[in-house]
Amino acid sequence: MSEEDPSSRPGISRRSFLTGTGLSVAAAGLLKTSEALADAAAADKVEGPGEVAITMKVNEAIHHFKVMPGTTLADALRFDLGMTGTKVVCDRGSCSACTVHLDGMPVCSCMTLALDVGTRAVTTVEGLANGDKLAPIQEQFIAHDAMQCGFCTPGMVMSCAALLATNQKPSLEDVKTAVSGNLCRCGTYPKVFAAAMTASGQKPPPGTQVTAHAAVLHEEAKAAHPSDEPPAWPSSDKLKVVGKSQPRVDGRLKVTGQARYTADVRLPGMLFARRVVSPHPHARVRAIDVSAAERLPGVKAVHVVERNEGAKLRNPPKVAEKYPLVRYAGQCVAGVAATTQAIADEAAKLVKVTYEPLPFVVEMDDARKDKAPLVYPGPVDMGGSGGGGGAAKGLEQHGNVRGPSRRDKGDVEAAMKTADFVVEGVFDTQVQTHSALETHGVVADWRPDGVTVYASSQATSSVRDEIATVFDVPKSKVRVITEFMGGGFGAKFGLGSFGTLAVALSKKAGAPVRLMLDRKEEHLCVGNRPSTVQTLKVGARKDGSLAAIALESHGNGGIATGGGVGWMGTTLYACDNTRSDQYDVFTNGGPAAAFRAPGQPMGAFAIEQLVDEMAEHLKMDPLVLRDKLDAGAGAPAPGGNDAATRAARKVERRIGAEKFGWHRRRAPGSDKGPVKRGLGMAQSMWGRFVELDSSCEVRLHKDGSVEFLSSVQDIGTGTRTAIAMIVAEELGIRPEDVEMKIGDTQYPVGPSSGGSKTLLGITAPARVAAWRVKEQLYRQVGDAARALPLRKAAAKLATESIRAQAQRSEDYGGDPRGGYGGVQFAEVTVDTETGIIKVVRMVAAHDCGRVVNPLAVQSQVNGGILHGLSFALYEHRHMDRATGRMVNPNLDQYKIAMAKETPEIEVVLIDQYLGRNATDVQGIGEPANIPTAAAIANAVYNAIGVRIRTLPMKPAVVLAALGKLDGKEARK
Amino acid sequence: MKSFEWVQAQSLDDAIAQLHHGVVVKAGGVDLIDRMKEGLDEPKRVVNLHGIAGLDGIKQLGTPGELVLGPLATLAQMAASPDVRGRWPALAEACAHAATPQIRNMATIGGNLVQRPRCWYFRSADFHCKKKGGSVCYAQAGENQFHAIVGNALCAIVHPSSVATALVAYRANLTLKGKKGERVLPLEQFFAPPEKDVTRENTLGPDELIAQVTVPAPIGPTRAAYHKQVEKESFDWPMADVAVVLRMDGRTCSRASIVLGAAAPIPWRARSAEQTLEGRVVDAAAAEAAADAAMHGMTPLAQNGYKVPVFRAVIRRTILAAVGGAS
Repeated sequence: MSEEDPSSRPGISRRSFLTGTGLSVAAAGLLKTSEALADAAAADKVEGPGEVAITMKVNEAIHHFKVMPGTTLADALRFDLGMTGTKVVCDRGSCSACTVHLDGMPVCSCMTLALDVGTRAVTTVEGLANGDKLAPIQEQFIAHDAMQCGFCTPGMVMSCAALLATNQKPSLEDVKTAVSGNLCRCGTYPKVFAAAMTASGQKPPPGTQVTAHAAVLHEEAKAAHPSDEPPAWPSSDKLKVVGKSQPRVDGRLKVTGQARYTADVRLPGMLFARRVVSPHPHARVRAIDVSAAERLPGVKAVHVVERNEGAKLRNPPKVAEKYPLVRYAGQCVAGVAATTQAIADEAAKLVKVTYEPLPFVVEMDDARKDKAPLVYPGPVDMGGSGGGGGAAKGLEQHGNVRGPSRRDKGDVEAAMKTADFVVEGVFDTQVQTHSALETHGVVADWRPDGVTVYASSQATSSVRDEIATVFDVPKSKVRVITEFMGGGFGAKFGLGSFGTLAVALSKKAGAPVRLMLDRKEEHLCVGNRPSTVQTLKVGARKDGSLAAIALESHGNGGIATGGGVGWMGTTLYACDNTRSDQYDVFTNGGPAAAFRAPGQPMGAFAIEQLVDEMAEHLKMDPLVLRDKLDAGAGAPAPGGNDAATRAARKVERRIGAEKFGWHRRRAPGSDKGPVKRGLGMAQSMWGRFVELDSSCEVRLHKDGSVEFLSSVQDIGTGTRTAIAMIVAEELGIRPEDVEMKIGDTQYPVGPSSGGSKTLLGITAPARVAAWRVKEQLYRQVGDAARALPLRKAAAKLATESIRAQAQRSEDYGGDPRGGYGGVQFAEVTVDTETGIIKVVRMVAAHDCGRVVNPLAVQSQVNGGILHGLSFALYEHRHMDRATGRMVNPNLDQYKIAMAKETPEIEVVLIDQYLGRNATDVQGIGEPANIPTAAAIANAVYNAIGVRIRTLPMKPAVVLAALGKLDGKEARK
Repeated sequence: MKSFEWVQAQSLDDAIAQLHHGVVVKAGGVDLIDRMKEGLDEPKRVVNLHGIAGLDGIKQLGTPGELVLGPLATLAQMAASPDVRGRWPALAEACAHAATPQIRNMATIGGNLVQRPRCWYFRSADFHCKKKGGSVCYAQAGENQFHAIVGNALCAIVHPSSVATALVAYRANLTLKGKKGERVLPLEQFFAPPEKDVTRENTLGPDELIAQVTVPAPIGPTRAAYHKQVEKESFDWPMADVAVVLRMDGRTCSRASIVLGAAAPIPWRARSAEQTLEGRVVDAAAAEAAADAAMHGMTPLAQNGYKVPVFRAVIRRTILAAVGGAS
């Protein structure tokens, strides 16, 4: 900075000289007269608004190419240079997924203009490795499984790499700060911390390790295995691969940015789409004029949406509406496809839609009022639902309220009168949006001989089936591919209205069409967890048993159904007299979709708090009471509380309590001082659903190479690795030696990745198919070959290859229903002056049958806990009542737990061998999410002696509960 | 984003010369690009300041040194500067906690001071609010849990710069340079309440740019602290932020500067809190009295009443943190 006195230079006005400080203003470059200043503009080169030629150094290579002035560095990398490792998630600098280095400094490439890079060297995730040699941080990410879906991984790796380049021995706090801007929806933070610490030669921090095989439970097999399936495996300590922690077989692809997601797919001649959406929350479309859009050069197809969204009217009007009715702000009415995204965006603005706005309602309380505007003019039914229950066909509907979906047992009224005491409450939970990092989207390629769709999906076959139905083509001509996908959490089933639009545009244009939703669209129109209000009343007896349970709930899934609160309230604990009445309340909001254990976290939030209240009334330890309550017969279905799952929870309560230090628990509000500490726990119960459409093929080549084929996809849980481990175990080879061909409907149909039943469905047939191939091999080459390594035995084959298929059969002795789950313990602090709750530590004890890969199961438990924690404390979709629009469809004001909110999480896994199928593997994704908010709420009560029955537990809510709001009501 | 002309300015004066209707200047671009992506701003031409050498200085000048910041100094540079951390710690703290590491590497002090509000009605092209020339403040009767608790009759935004909270507490000055020359004014006077012009947050002239930020040398023993109270620590806008700068005479405060962020449309000088503290020994009782005084006359909206007890706690704690006592 120059310290020369500018007043001494010719031409500068004295007036400009500073007084008071005696210091000069530093302005680089020459100081000119005011006349000369105007000429400066002419002297500077003006570039744009058309394409500009630039030179950019990326990963040591020089690139010359053209960009528009508004092209971000992220888009330049991803589209102009074909380097798709860097991901775009929010496109607004709120999530750091797009992190690259500029001269070693981490920045958001989505908020950097390509033109502004200049001579600075760009480093992307593709440039971290040295040829085949990964950077230490990349190696440690793989070793610790610091990834799940992998979509945040490039950005995370880049943030960590920048830290380690400048700080040789970072503290845990340094690491958390370095990734404090990186959003991971799958909840990899604990492993990221471990990876960064070990990459710098330090120990992994506490709360990042998993304890596997903490206990082993055996159930008696109900029946023998079929003769065409192998005998049961022994317990996993006797196995070579299964049950031992295994880094992901696709880990390398994720940490180097080579994993290709739907958002990364580029096909020759690919067009870009943009949706035209309604700004009105409720409207009739009078006219749509696409002529101006069609005329825009570069536009190749325009499509007007024909299908309704949401539920179907039971009695549709005799005269159909010309266009689908708009029922929520953000609903799609048309779409365009063009040669560039910019042209598509401009064309979408040229589509003229004439709306007739209608009265609307966006909050549940308003929707339940008499004379509330009607979302649907009459009763409706809906096939799929938000998944929380209550979507049964033919239910009554009055105004916007549909239901109840009723489950009844015994005589609740009478039994309630016999109770010694009653604990009850009204519990309130909010709308939560899935917010997967990769938005929903497809690349649709319609050709005369069939259609191929790349989809970010958790159920490839569901997408294929819907395309076949909607477009009336044989399934055999439809192919859906999901090689990698960036998170789903329940919202990515089916084709979606956006997918239908993309396929229609591709068909019209005769070219592939890419349609990826942006972050705002992602929040608005592809799913959410419904908000709920539930009244739960528990009639209890002095001896700690339950006389009666009455549950009534209302759920708001927008225009969709499924706003239930699950079945835990009335079936978790033994009670002969229960009623559950669950209603849906329609509002003009985006449709709900199943979200990680639909209904269950809300149900757990209520029942687990009331059971704690019951314990307090009885002066019993909450764990001791649960030992008593959980021992009863329980309800058989649905998602039943069978003896096996109750036995598992008993062990988990004991082991979890020991590991957590449950004995440290003191009376509520014991701490002096404004920050109070509390301990709490809650239980998880999830149902067992066997998806019989789980099939696969295993091929063995003469050269010993092995392939596994199934349309099953990997939603980020590590399905690819787990299956490889199963096949490897059976064949006596390494998981890396199994060529995994999944996520493609041209392969045998595999299960969806939902319901926490993927591995429950596919591991048994995977093992069976491998076993059948093996048996075929030895039948061909002789039993003596059993002593040889597989490769040597295969070399003796007479044919090039052999193959065997398997489909999931019923569990031995029939489907037992039943369930699985876990127990979670939470330690929190509550600042009673600011209302801030922090979760300090969690211990989670879970079962999932035979644990295949402890490392990956731990990642799932971490992720479930972080979802639950985020649901409990931060996330909230805000709707503006006056206009019916969501006001925070982004990732800075829709708040999701990130690195600094992550507690120490100790995961304890028990094995349970059930003797039900060839592998006895169960699921974990949803059970891990169910009890977290309830455990936190119970811990909060223990901390402050005040019960919070509203989620999220924001400062306003906490302060109101503590009576600190000066009489003003704290609205949610 | 609508396309635009792009000019790489060679100097601040060069950029100033080009200021014209339809022209915007880009520094780090963090706020500008967000607004352009939303369609709130559609400039004909973007003049790029970023990359001009010599505008990112962070220096102490004179004896005792005042802090002189070039407009392109980044928040990360300010947070890491030994000069800033040593003598203006509340400012370093504010910079260190703003946004995310990536944004701090990109965001400049100049851009930070003139960034537009984060009110979700303002930030969305879907709402034509008063600040954008419309007739309604949607926050008044709408979703206002993060909005202003005082000075909110006309427009309920909170000023978006948490760094400004600290700079105003340190009584920083701004040098603005325009086509007609330069002027220097206290940063506090640069920010303007909605009553002056609801469509703007500051008094920057149409042909002016920020040329420099100067922070006076602390006079005598000075104790300072800053706290940004967020709902979640990783990355969040403040629900309440407080900067306290106290000139001390032994244990007594001779002059207090207490500024609240996320309370009002401008950085809010808590004058009654300052007066309560001046001339007093700064102990727990004094801090509490000051915090209470600060919260007199607040006019919270339907959903943001919780900010009052939060501010009370944060103000009290920050005052005590400044003097090194327990809260």
